[in-house]
Amino acid sequence: MKIRNFVLGALGLAAAAAAVTLVPMQHATAQGGNSDPAQTWDAFGGNQQAQKYSTATQITPDNVKGLKMAWEFHTGDVSSGAHSTTWGATPLFANNTVYTGTPKYNIFAVEPDTGKMKWKYSANGNNGDENQGLKNRGVAYWAAANPTAGACQKMVYIGTMTGELHGVDADSGKPCAGFGKNGVVDVNAWATKNSKWKIGLIQPPAVYKDTLILGWAGNDWVYKTENPGTVYGIDARTGALKWTFNIIPDDMMNQTGTANVWAGISVDPETGLAFLPTSSPSPNYYGGDRLKEMPYATATVAVNAETGEVKWARQLVHHDIWDVDINSAPTLVDIKKDGQVIPALIQANKMGLMVVLNRNTGEPVWPIVERAYPASDIAGEVASKTQPFVPYPEPLVAEHMPPVSKLADILSFGECSRWKARIRDEGRYTPPSVRGSISWPATLGGVEWGGGALDPTTNTYVVNSNLVPQIYTLVPRADADKKYGNALRARDGYAAQQGSAYGFKLENFLNMWGMPCWAPPYGIMSSYDMNSGKLLWRKPVGQVQKWGFYMPESWGSITIGAPAITKSGLVFIGASMDSRVRAIDVKTGNVLWKHIVDAPAVAQPAVYTYKGKQYVAFAAGGNGILTPRLSDQLVAFALPN
Amino acid sequence: MTQRHSTRGAWLIMLASLITIAICVYDYYTPETGLIGTGGVITVAVAGALMLMASLTMGLVANRGCFLQGFLVVSILLDIIGSSVAGYFLESPVIMAAQALALIGWLINVIGDAAERSVEIDEVEDED
Repeated sequence: MKIRNFVLGALGLAAAAAAVTLVPMQHATAQGGNSDPAQTWDAFGGNQQAQKYSTATQITPDNVKGLKMAWEFHTGDVSSGAHSTTWGATPLFANNTVYTGTPKYNIFAVEPDTGKMKWKYSANGNNGDENQGLKNRGVAYWAAANPTAGACQKMVYIGTMTGELHGVDADSGKPCAGFGKNGVVDVNAWATKNSKWKIGLIQPPAVYKDTLILGWAGNDWVYKTENPGTVYGIDARTGALKWTFNIIPDDMMNQTGTANVWAGISVDPETGLAFLPTSSPSPNYYGGDRLKEMPYATATVAVNAETGEVKWARQLVHHDIWDVDINSAPTLVDIKKDGQVIPALIQANKMGLMVVLNRNTGEPVWPIVERAYPASDIAGEVASKTQPFVPYPEPLVAEHMPPVSKLADILSFGECSRWKARIRDEGRYTPPSVRGSISWPATLGGVEWGGGALDPTTNTYVVNSNLVPQIYTLVPRADADKKYGNALRARDGYAAQQGSAYGFKLENFLNMWGMPCWAPPYGIMSSYDMNSGKLLWRKPVGQVQKWGFYMPESWGSITIGAPAITKSGLVFIGASMDSRVRAIDVKTGNVLWKHIVDAPAVAQPAVYTYKGKQYVAFAAGGNGILTPRLSDQLVAFALPN
Repeated sequence: MTQRHSTRGAWLIMLASLITIAICVYDYYTPETGLIGTGGVITVAVAGALMLMASLTMGLVANRGCFLQGFLVVSILLDIIGSSVAGYFLESPVIMAAQALALIGWLINVIGDAAERSVEIDEVEDED
């Protein structure tokens, strides 16, 4: 009704709107005090605890409307078409420098206040048809606690999608000769078991003291038996292998693979525990050949960061046949509850559940219950009879998908409702089937790889999540071979799962016009008080943009990326389809400021203070999953002087 | 049968359509607009071009048939409504403002034409 009224009134208001555009905007130029100490953003998650929190107070809810672009830098590393880039880097600010990595494997060091390039290092990726595409989520930074004379006492690391980890001097950008072989560690040399492809170092390693903790990305849809998910502990100075942690049990390695850690890793600097979010085993959607329990798969696993020894593990999806990887670094929080301080972590996940665990023991802070879910109707498959469910804090995703969108259904002459009637839908954890099953939330649903952000002074946690069903169809091997031959993938969403009894097809639930067949919103942001677990607010976030047309704000947007939170009460987030970055009032969830960037900023922003001035920096790289719009823009915003 | 119709307001519609086309071209090529390379601005630009042709006809061909006059009036109005809705969903206040300008031109033309019809009828009645 609101939209309709606006549209009807648009003509009358248009002249006034034009006048508004011609009147120079008056900006709030007043700034808070310049007393903030220099603040770094030296890890993918802002800090080791993956809190994405800044103590900066210069930009406030009162003056954020005056935020202006301070500088932008174009890396030149962008391409579309067959070799399109996916750039989800969070810029780092450390050593008085902004560092970023690119999907063509270059590291750029730029001035934090001007965006002028200091140096560039090229990891010499082949920039071509990589086995997993041209992808990067940035770089890692390490500084020696007791530096000695000479170079490489501060280092920046970048991984390539062909399994090379490069270490360079943070001051000069020169490769560190003492790291691996002339500055390069070939991680593939360690990953020899069932090696089907070179491992992809999309995510920068976590850093704890002098150890790099490294996971990797793989192709877990194409083969039954693939590279087993192994996490590596690496000496930050030398690149030597310190330890390995195998997620797949030895006796299952000929039956399955992956379950790798492809998302961020958080570390408790006090206990030295690293928290690993693990993914689903291969093949993702048929588990008939891997029925034996694998407790470290689709789990949060705590290991000693310096030895790799497991302290505890908490499986969050049993016998995962939905590809609902645990996909973000857990955010560490000290919960103040019943007069006690509980060292905890928040593992919001793809299933849309707010898992909160004691990070020293793995025991739930709020109860995890085993809830019954539907059985599989596929011969050989045995879906778990129960799955872990967290009723409180309130889940981010309901048990059943939203109703069919009437608008999308009418405009497609009933296509949506007919399709929905044909397929299996029994809510959360409906097993994949030959006739097609609704997966809700699907692999693109729930929380994506950025995770949430926490203000540790108030224990306010904000997290963006997606409300997206997808359709999972198993294709019997004979049919798959007949239709797709030896192809590992096809453009219609097919993935071979070679070696297993079924291929697989993933479809988006869209009508003939590309409209979502389910009712909005498609993306939301939620805020929780983590001391009580209470949901404070929940609102749609971002806007869908199709052919340039912006859909109503009440629909929200699918988001990939995460928020950052500041002490002054602001949440900054890009992540949405409309290529806008936003500042949101942490108390109300209201959008206070927004600005268009060149492409969706599919990573969390970095917030830093340099020479008394606070900056918010985004890598606006885009992601083909959201929109075709890609870019190479690194952009920082600040209040005018 | 042709008769003289009002040309008033046509130049305002022309101006509005030129503004529409210009802003669409700018939006299409400028990343900061958020509309770079989008089909939506192409659609509005095409609508602007059609409006330009219609308004040129309206302004230059005073002696036109009733059918042509009706076609121009209706098609320009539909163009204004469609472009306004598109401008709203493109979140482009300039496109919406241009359509407001076009609407003013359209109203001037329609009212002017009605007034001229009224004078002609009065003259016929006086002759009686």
